Amino acid sequence: MATITVTVNGKSYTSEVEPRTLLVHYLREHLNLTGTHIGCDTSQCGACVVLVDGVSVKSCTMLAVQADGANVLTIEGLAQNGQLHPLQEGFWECHGLQCGYCTPGMIMAAYDLLQQNPEPTDEEVRHGLEGNLCRCTGYHNIVRAVQYAAAKMRSEEVPA
Amino acid sequence: MSHNGSTFRYLGKGHRLIEGLEKITGNAKYAGDLSLPGMLHACLVLSPYAHARIVAIDRSTAQAAPGVVAVLTADDLPTRDRAVNSRHSAVLAKDRVLWRGQPVVVVVGETEAAARDAADRVVVEYEPLTPIIDVQKAAAPDAPVIWPQGLPKEGADLTAAHAAVDKGEQETTGAPSNIHDEVHFVRGDVERGFAEADVVIERVYRTPMVHQGYLEPHASVAEPDLYRGGVTVYTSTQGQFSVRDEVARLLSLPKHKVRVVPMTIGGGFGAKYGIIDPLVAAVAITVKRPVRLVLTRTEDFLSTTPSPAAIVELKVGARADGTLTAIQARVLMDNGVFPFTLGGIVGILLGGYYKCPNLRIDCYEVLTHKPQAGAYRAPGAPTATFAIESTIDDLARALGHDPLTFRLQNAAETGDPMGNNDPWPHIGLKLVLERLRDHPAWKDRQVGPNEGVGIAIGGWPCGMSPAASICRVDTDGTVRIHVGSVDISGVNSSLVLVVAEILDIPPEQIELIQGDTRSGPFAGPSGGSQTTYSVAGAVAKAARAVREKLFEIAADHFEVSVADLELRNGMVSVRGFPDKAVSIGTLAAIAESKAGGPGPIIAEGSAAVSENAPGFVAHLAKVHVDPETGQVTLKQYVAIQDVGFALNPTMVAGQIHGGSVQGIGWGLYEAMIYDEYGQLLTASFMDYNLPAFDQVPDIEAVLVENPSPYGPFGARGVGEPPITAGAAAIANAIRDATGVRMTELPIRAEALWRAMREQINGQSSTPG
Ligand code: FES
Ligand code: FES
Repeated sequence: MATITVTVNGKSYTSEVEPRTLLVHYLREHLNLTGTHIGCDTSQCGACVVLVDGVSVKSCTMLAVQADGANVLTIEGLAQNGQLHPLQEGFWECHGLQCGYCTPGMIMAAYDLLQQNPEPTDEEVRHGLEGNLCRCTGYHNIVRAVQYAAAKMRSEEVPA
Repeated sequence: MSHNGSTFRYLGKGHRLIEGLEKITGNAKYAGDLSLPGMLHACLVLSPYAHARIVAIDRSTAQAAPGVVAVLTADDLPTRDRAVNSRHSAVLAKDRVLWRGQPVVVVVGETEAAARDAADRVVVEYEPLTPIIDVQKAAAPDAPVIWPQGLPKEGADLTAAHAAVDKGEQETTGAPSNIHDEVHFVRGDVERGFAEADVVIERVYRTPMVHQGYLEPHASVAEPDLYRGGVTVYTSTQGQFSVRDEVARLLSLPKHKVRVVPMTIGGGFGAKYGIIDPLVAAVAITVKRPVRLVLTRTEDFLSTTPSPAAIVELKVGARADGTLTAIQARVLMDNGVFPFTLGGIVGILLGGYYKCPNLRIDCYEVLTHKPQAGAYRAPGAPTATFAIESTIDDLARALGHDPLTFRLQNAAETGDPMGNNDPWPHIGLKLVLERLRDHPAWKDRQVGPNEGVGIAIGGWPCGMSPAASICRVDTDGTVRIHVGSVDISGVNSSLVLVVAEILDIPPEQIELIQGDTRSGPFAGPSGGSQTTYSVAGAVAKAARAVREKLFEIAADHFEVSVADLELRNGMVSVRGFPDKAVSIGTLAAIAESKAGGPGPIIAEGSAAVSENAPGFVAHLAKVHVDPETGQVTLKQYVAIQDVGFALNPTMVAGQIHGGSVQGIGWGLYEAMIYDEYGQLLTASFMDYNLPAFDQVPDIEAVLVENPSPYGPFGARGVGEPPITAGAAAIANAIRDATGVRMTELPIRAEALWRAMREQINGQSSTPG
C-alpha cells in the first residue's frame, strides 16, 4: 500500500492505495467520482480523460501514485458555483452528446485543446480530439460544441 | 412549422437533450457507476479456444487467493439445468466451449482487482477440438456438424424481433447440417428475366462481422432479495422487459420476482438485451450478496453478439432502356455458434429497393464456432445495401445511364413488393432521390484528380410495438410522464415535446420518468427504430386525457361549459375573459381536495400502431483516393432521409450524423477478423478501428418530411436508416475515382491499392 495526497476538484484527499491502482480506478472507486468513464483497456477511447496539473491525461494510463501531490480536475469539478463551463454548455446546446458516455472525457480533452489553441479551425478540433472516440454523434456536433465554447470563452458571439 | 394543417408550438422545433445536464456534469448513473452496500465484484474466465472439451477445472488456488468470495462454474448456478442454445442461455460453459471468449468460470471477489487476480489463477484443462470457422466450408454438405443432435431445445432468442416484417418461410432440412434456417423468395421467372436483359452483372460481395462498438462495455449489478427470493438487476439495456423475461426464464423464477432497472445506457445499437444479466443475477443469488460485473473492452469484443458476416452472390439484369429485368441472390449468413436469423431481412431489402418483375433469393443461415451473431442498427441492411447498390451503380454505368436517374426510374414505391413479395407500406424512396438530384453536392458536383462522387440509397422497414404511458399533473404544475421504454437515442427528448404540445406548457415543466419492470407501463424494447413511433402515440393519448380532466375541473371551477375554455401556457382560461384563468397546478390542487369530480389529475394512454413506417435515405459521398497508397479520404458526405415528421429535429439530425458515421465505419474501417483457429485478431480498439474524429468529415443531414399515415404526428422510425447506405455510397465513390470496383468490406487502403495495381496491370479480377 502507498499513501498519496491528491487534490481533486479543489479538495485534498489522502488515501491508501495499492501501487498498481490506476488513476481512473482511484477516482471512480476510492473517491466515487464516477463521471470519469472507462471505455477500453488499451488507452484508445479517451472516455477517462481528466486534467492533471492542467494537462489532459488518459487516467487509465496513469497510476494513482503518479498523481501524488498533483492537482486533478474531473468533469464533476468543471462547473463553478453551479455555473456550467462554456464547454458543458456547448455540448448541451449543440447536441454534442447522445448516450453521454464519451462526453466527460471529450469535454476534458477539449478543455486542454482550447487552452492551447483558443481559436481552432474545425480541422484542428478534429485533429486535437482524435484520441477520443464517440460512437453516437458521428463527431459532427462535437465540433460545433467545441466551437461554441471557444467563441464563448473568447467572449464573442457564439456561432449559430 | 406547419404540419397536417396545424401549427405546432413545440413539436418540430429543435430541443436539447432533456437529460443533458446529468451527462455534461458527470452525474448520469451508468450501471457500472452503481455501488451497493456489501457489493461484490465478478470477473470472468473466458475460453481461449474456439472449440474444446473441458477436461477439468482446478479452482483451488483461485479460491484461496486473498479477497476471493467464490469461484463458480456452470453447475454452481441456478441456471444449471437450462438448455444452452443461445448467447443468453450460455451463462457459463458446461462440458464444451463453443467459441473463443465463451465465459467458463466466474470469480467473485471483494474488489475488482481481487477477482481479476484470482481469475488468472483458475486452471482450466481443455482438450482442443477442431473448430469450424469458414462459413463456406461450414455450409458444405460434407462439413462436420456443430450440433449433430440438433440444437438443445428450449425457448427462443430475444434479439431477433427487430423489424416488424414477415421474414419469409423458414424451413429446416431434415439431415443434420450447419445450415440452421433457409429463406427463399421467388417472384416471376428469373431465367426469362436474364434472357430479356441487355446487361447482366454478377458478383460476389462480402461483408465482415462488425461490432456495435457502444462506448460503454456491458455492465450489470444484481441484488438478491434475501427475504422474498428473487433479484433486482440494474443494467445497461435497451429493453428492461426483455431482460426480465430472459432472467426469469433462465433462473426459473416467476417474472414478478425479477425486477430490472434500466440505468443510463452508454450506447447499445442492438446489442444490449441481457447478455450478461442472467449470469450476474445467478451469481448474486448464489453468493447472497449484490454483485457487479463490468466487462473490459476486450471481454466485450470476445463474448458479446456482433453482427453476422455475410457473403452475397448477386446477379442483376437490366434492359438498355434502364428497366430491371431480374434479381437473383444467394446469401450466406455467418451466425456463429447459435442461430440468428437476418437472412430474411437481407432478402427483403435486396429484392425490395427496386421494382423488378423477376426475383429469386435464397438465404442460408449458417453456424460456425464464433460468437453468436446479434442485431446491430438496421441489422442486415448495410450488407444488402452494399451488394445491391454497388451492382445498380455499375448497371447504370454499363448502360450509359445517369446513376441517379437510373435509380429513380426503378425505385420502389408504396405498394410495390419487398423482397418477400409483401407490399411496402407508405414509403418515400423517390422523394429522397429527388431531393438528392436537386442538391448542389450532386447537381453541381465537381471532382479533382483522384476524386470521385458516389451515391446510394438505403432503407429500413422500421419496427413497431404496443406501448402504454401514464401522465399526471402535480400541484406545482409539474407534469410527469411515465414510460417503460429506454432512451437510447434521445427519444425522451421527443416524448416531452408531445406532452408540451398537447398541454401547451414549456418542456422544462415536464419530467419524464423511465420506469423499471415494476413501475413502468409496458413498452417494447428500444430497437428497430420503433420507440418514438410506438410510444409517442401512448404518451399523446395520456396527455390528451389529462387535458380533458383539467378542462372538466376548470369548467366546474368557473361554472362554464368545457367548450368555453382554452388552454394556453399552462393556464386554463375562459375564452374572452383573460382574467378568468387558472394554472394547471392549481387545477391539480383543486382536483386533489374536491369531493366529487374526476379526482386527482392522472390518466393513462395505450397505443398499438397498426402499420410500420419505413424510412428511406439517399446518401452521397465524395472521396479522394491516394493513388500511391490506396488511402481513402472522405471529402464530403450528405445524408438525406425521409423522417416522416421530425418531432424533435435536433435529435433526428443527431441520429443521422451518428448513423452515417457508423455506415462509414462499415465502408472503410470496421471488421472483426477471426483466424483459421477461431481466434479473434481484433479484440481491442487498437485493432478494431471505430471511426475516429479525424477519419470522418462533417455530415450534412437533410430531413425530408413525408408524413407517415400511421405514426404519431406523421413520424417515422429514424434511428436505423442512416447506417444503411454509407458503405455502398463510398464504394461507388471509389469506383468513380479509380475505376476499381471493391466488393469486400471494409475497403482498406491495402486492398484498394492491390486492386488498383491489378487494374493498371490490365488483369482486373472484378468483372463488370
Ligand atoms: S478508458 Fe482510458 S482511453 Fe479508454
Ligand atoms: S455520445 Fe455516446 S459515445 Fe459519444
